[in-house]
Amino acid sequence: MPRFDYVRAGSVAEALRLLAEPGLTSRPLAGGTDVLVYIRHERAPFDRLVDISRVPELKIIERRGNEVVVGGAVTYTEAAESPLLRQVAACLVEACLTVGGPAIRNMGTLGGNVVNAAACADSLPPLTCLDTMVHLRSLAGERTMALSEFIMGPNRTAIRAGELLTHFSFPVPPDGARQVFIKLGRRNAQAISRLSIAAIGRLDGQGRADYVRLSPGAAMPTPRRLTEVEAMLLGQVPTDELLIAAGVRSAEVMIAVTGRRWSTEYKEVAIQALAERVLRRVLVL
Amino acid sequence: MPEYQYIGKPARRVDALEKVLGTAKYIADRKLPGMLHARCLRSEVPHARIVKLDVTPALAVPGVRGVITSEDFFEHGLYGFPVKDKYMLAYQKVRYVGEAIAAVAADTPEAALAGVQAIICELEPLPGVFDMEHALDADAPQVGPDRPDGEHPNFLDKLIVRKGDPLAVWEQSPIKLEERYTVGPQEHAYIEPEGVLAVPTPEGGVVVYAPNQSPFINHGNLALVLNLPHNLVRVIQPPVGGSFGGKDDIIYESSAQVARLALITGKPVRMVFSREESLIVSYKRDAMRMHIWLAADPDGTLRACKFDGLLDSGAYASESSFTAWRASIHAMGAYRYDACHVDITAVYTNNGYCGAFRGFGNTEVCMAIEQAIDEMAYKVGMDPIDFRLKNCLRLGDETVHGQRLTESVGLAECLMAVRRLSDWDRKRAEYTRRDVACNVSTTNDIRRGIGVAALYHGTSLGAEGQDYANATIAIEQDNSIDITSGLTDYGTGSRTVFTLIAAEELGVRPERIHMQRPDTDTAIESGPTVASRSTMLGGNAMRIAAMNLRQTLDYAAADLLGCELHQLIRHGEAYVGPAEEPVPWERVVAHAREMGLALSAHGKWTAPRINWDHHAGRGTPYMAYHFAAQVAEVEVDMGTGNVQVIGFWAAHDLGKMIFPQGAYGQLYGGIAQGLGYALMEQITFVNGYIQETNFESYLIPTAVDVPEIVGTFIEAPFSHGPYGAKNIAEPAMVPTAPAILNAIYHATGRRVRDLPANLERVLLGHDLAKGGSPRACKLGLHIA
Repeated sequence: MPRFDYVRAGSVAEALRLLAEPGLTSRPLAGGTDVLVYIRHERAPFDRLVDISRVPELKIIERRGNEVVVGGAVTYTEAAESPLLRQVAACLVEACLTVGGPAIRNMGTLGGNVVNAAACADSLPPLTCLDTMVHLRSLAGERTMALSEFIMGPNRTAIRAGELLTHFSFPVPPDGARQVFIKLGRRNAQAISRLSIAAIGRLDGQGRADYVRLSPGAAMPTPRRLTEVEAMLLGQVPTDELLIAAGVRSAEVMIAVTGRRWSTEYKEVAIQALAERVLRRVLVL
Repeated sequence: MPEYQYIGKPARRVDALEKVLGTAKYIADRKLPGMLHARCLRSEVPHARIVKLDVTPALAVPGVRGVITSEDFFEHGLYGFPVKDKYMLAYQKVRYVGEAIAAVAADTPEAALAGVQAIICELEPLPGVFDMEHALDADAPQVGPDRPDGEHPNFLDKLIVRKGDPLAVWEQSPIKLEERYTVGPQEHAYIEPEGVLAVPTPEGGVVVYAPNQSPFINHGNLALVLNLPHNLVRVIQPPVGGSFGGKDDIIYESSAQVARLALITGKPVRMVFSREESLIVSYKRDAMRMHIWLAADPDGTLRACKFDGLLDSGAYASESSFTAWRASIHAMGAYRYDACHVDITAVYTNNGYCGAFRGFGNTEVCMAIEQAIDEMAYKVGMDPIDFRLKNCLRLGDETVHGQRLTESVGLAECLMAVRRLSDWDRKRAEYTRRDVACNVSTTNDIRRGIGVAALYHGTSLGAEGQDYANATIAIEQDNSIDITSGLTDYGTGSRTVFTLIAAEELGVRPERIHMQRPDTDTAIESGPTVASRSTMLGGNAMRIAAMNLRQTLDYAAADLLGCELHQLIRHGEAYVGPAEEPVPWERVVAHAREMGLALSAHGKWTAPRINWDHHAGRGTPYMAYHFAAQVAEVEVDMGTGNVQVIGFWAAHDLGKMIFPQGAYGQLYGGIAQGLGYALMEQITFVNGYIQETNFESYLIPTAVDVPEIVGTFIEAPFSHGPYGAKNIAEPAMVPTAPAILNAIYHATGRRVRDLPANLERVLLGHDLAKGGSPRACKLGLHIA
C-alpha cells in the first residue's frame, strides 16, 4: 500500500490552511472514488490527504434568490435525494442516479467529479446545461468561473494548488422547463458512460421552443453546450424533421471539435439518436 | 415414479449459513503465526528467451526468506494434462505476459514485492504469434514445444467427426448456407481471486490449502515436481469462491510455488493474487473462429453440416485438446444429418493461455451452430422452433457420430416447454409483423425480438478418460454421519447433493450428515471435478456407499427385532419389525456396534464403457446427453445498439432433479454468465497484452442487467444416473448467447456473428478497434 498521511478538516478555513501547509504536498479527499483507484496503480502524487468530506459548508444545497448553490462535497446520493434539486435540476438528479452503484453514489461527490474532469463524467452534461459557475477558494482569496472555462481538457482543470472547489451555483431554469438526462453505458449499472446527454427545454404558448439547452458527455474533451443546435430550435416548432436535423447537427458539431477518432464511427450515429431523443423528450408533449 | 423422502425436495444448502454469515474462511482469510507472503516475478513481454536469471539480489532484500526458480523443481517443474508443456516456473522461455519466472517468500507483502523487483532477469524478446489464423504459417515464430513428429510446433491438436460427404451434399442442395462466426476469450470472474497456503510438516512434507477443482491432480503434481512421496503431500480444499473451470492449472502452479517455498523456508507461505494479477495471469475460455456449411431440403429437412473451427489455445495446451474434442462432438448441434464433417484445430499463440471454462468448447460452438440453424430456418421459411422440432434428436435416433440414443432424450419436450412458457407464437407473430410495418428505421426506434436456441451436452468426461468416483460414509460415536467424496464443491452445490443422497439411502435426516471438504488424506481419488460430473459420478458413488452401510444397519435391525430382512420397514428414521414397535435408529446403530459390525462403508461407481475412434471420427462419445432449449426476448435500441434482455425462459432435461434450489441456482447463474458472454464480456489481446485487467474494463452483468428468468426442468431419466439424474452446471449457460443473438436478429434483421454483441456490433455491424498498450499489464503486475 502507498504510504501517506491523512487529516480531516472541520471547516473550509482549516482545510485551506492544511492544504497550504509548507513542506508537504496535500490534496483534498472528498469521496475518494477517483483518488483511491488512482493510487492503486500509480505512485501517490501527494504526502497527505486532507479529508473535506464532512465539512458542513461544503455540504449545502440551497436556493439563494434565483440561484441554486450546491456544495462541492455533496454526494451523488445527497444530490439525488434533495427536494430542491429534484424540483429545479432534474437532469442533474437523473445523472447522479446513473453514477456507479449505490456504494459509489454514497461516497462520490459532485465536486470530485468536476475536479477529476473525466470526459465521461456524468455530472458534466447537466451542470453545463444549467450554466453552472464554479466557486474556488484559497488562502489568497476567491475565484469564480464558468464550468466550461474551469475544465481545460480531460482530467485537466484551472484549479491551483491550495485551492478548493467550495461550491457550484446556477440560475434556476425558467418555470415549466423540462429536463432530461440519458446515459449510454455497456451495462445498466457500474458502467462508464459511452455517451451521455442532458437537455433542458420549454415551449411557448404557440408551441415554439423558447428555451433550449443541450450538452453531451463523453463526446468532447471539454464540456460545452451545443449552442449551434440550440439556435436551430429556438423560436421553432419542434417538428420531426427539425429534431432529426438537430440530431445530425449535434454529430457534426462533435466531429468538428474532436475530428475523427477510433470511436467516431459509433458516436456519430449514437449521438444523433440521443440528441434527437432528449430534445424530443423536453420539447414534444 | 418412486416417492422419495429427500431427493428432489427443497433442502437447505449445507454451506449456506457460513456463506451468509461470512464465517467461511477463504485462503485470503487464513493466517498462521510466522506465515510468509509469496509473490511471483512475472513476464512483462509476450515471448522471450530467458538470458539471465539471478535471484541472489532478492535474497539480500530485508525480509526476504526464500526465492525459487524452475531449478528448484524436479525436471524444472514440467507439468500439464493431457499435454505436458508448462513449467511451475518458466524454464528457458516465457510465452505469455504474466508467466511466472521466479517466486519470492518474505515477511511482508511489501518485502516480497521488493524481492521480486530486485531479481535480475534479462529477457531477449522473440517475435510472437498474435493471430491464430497465422499460427501454422511456415514462417510463424515457434511458440509451442518442438514436435519430433514433423507437425508444426504451433499445432496442438485436431479433432474430427466424420459421417458421409457433407460438401458433396451441400453442392447439390437447393438450400444452403455458408457463414463464419467468432467468439473471443472469456474470463471466469470468480469472486475469489487465486490464493494458496502451504504449511511445512515436521516429517519433511507439506500441507497445501488450495481452492482447486481437483485436489488429487494437485497432489500428484506436487509429489512429482517436489520429488516427494505421495504420503508426504496433503492437499486440503478450503471453501472456494467460484471457479467455473478456472481453478485448475493456475492453482496447481501456485500450489507448487508456495509448497517449495514452505519447504525451503520451513515456514507457512501464502500467496494471494490481486484482481489484476488474476486477470492477467489466469487462463481464459478459448477464442474460436468457426466456418459452417449447412444444407437443407425445401421442406426444412436438414441434410448436411460441415464445421471447421480454429481454436486459440494461447501459450500453453492446458485442457485445450479436451476442449477441442468436446467442441468437435457438439459442433453440429442436436440434429440429424445425412452427412457431417467437423474439424477443430487447436493452435498455440502468445495470447495469454486458455483452458477449461463452463461449457468447455460447447459454449463456443453452440453460439455458432445455433445461429446457423436459425439462419437456415429463415431460409426455408419455417418458424425457428418448428424447424428445430423437425430436425432435432429424438429417442431412437442415431447421432452423426454413430451413437443410438436409447433413453433420456428430452429435447423436443424442452422446445415445446419454452414455446409455451415464453408465449412464443404470439410474440413471434407480433414482433415479426411490426418489423415488416416499419422497415424504415428511425433512430428512436426500440424494437423487440424473440429468439431460441437448443442444446445437447454430453454428460461427464465421455471419451476424455476413465470415468469413476469414490465415496465414503461412516457413523461417528455421537451417531452423526461423516461422508466424503474426492470431488469438490466449488459452488456447484454437490456437497448438498451428496448429503441428500446419503440421507435418502440411509433413511436418516440430512441434519445428521456432515459432508467434509475433500482432503487427499481422507477422501478417495475420484477423477477431476469437471464436466458437470459430480451429481452423476459422485452421486452414484455416494449412493453405493450409503446402500452398503444401510445393508449393515439392516442386518443389525433384523437381528435386534428378531425378524427377516424383508420384514423390516422404516418409519421416519426408526426401524419397524413384525411387532410393529418402532425402534429408534440410534438403537439399531448401538446394536450394530455390539455385534462388532463396521459402521463405515465405501462406494465406487464406474461409468459404462464408451469408445471414440479419434482417427475415424466416430463412436460413442458420451454415455448420455443433457438436452435443453432457451428463449430470450430482447429490446434493441436501433439508435444506439443497446440491447436489453427483457425476458428469459429455459427448459432443461437434467434426467432427475436431486436438489431443487441447487439446480435452479445453477440454471440462473449459468444464464447470467451466458448473457455476459453474449453482450458485454470482452477480452482484448493487443500484441499479447490483455487490456482488461480489472472489473472496470472487464464488464460482467449486474443484477439490473439480468431479467427475471423462468426455468423449468424436464425429467427424462437416465438409467445409469443416480435416481435418473444427469447434470446441469455447464449446460445452463451454453445456449444462452445464441438465444440472445437470435432474438437480436429477430428484432433488427441484422445478424451479429461475432461475440460479444456490444453496442458497436449491434449498431454498425462490426466492432471498432480501440487499440491498446502494455500499460495496464505493466501496472497490474506491480500493485503493492
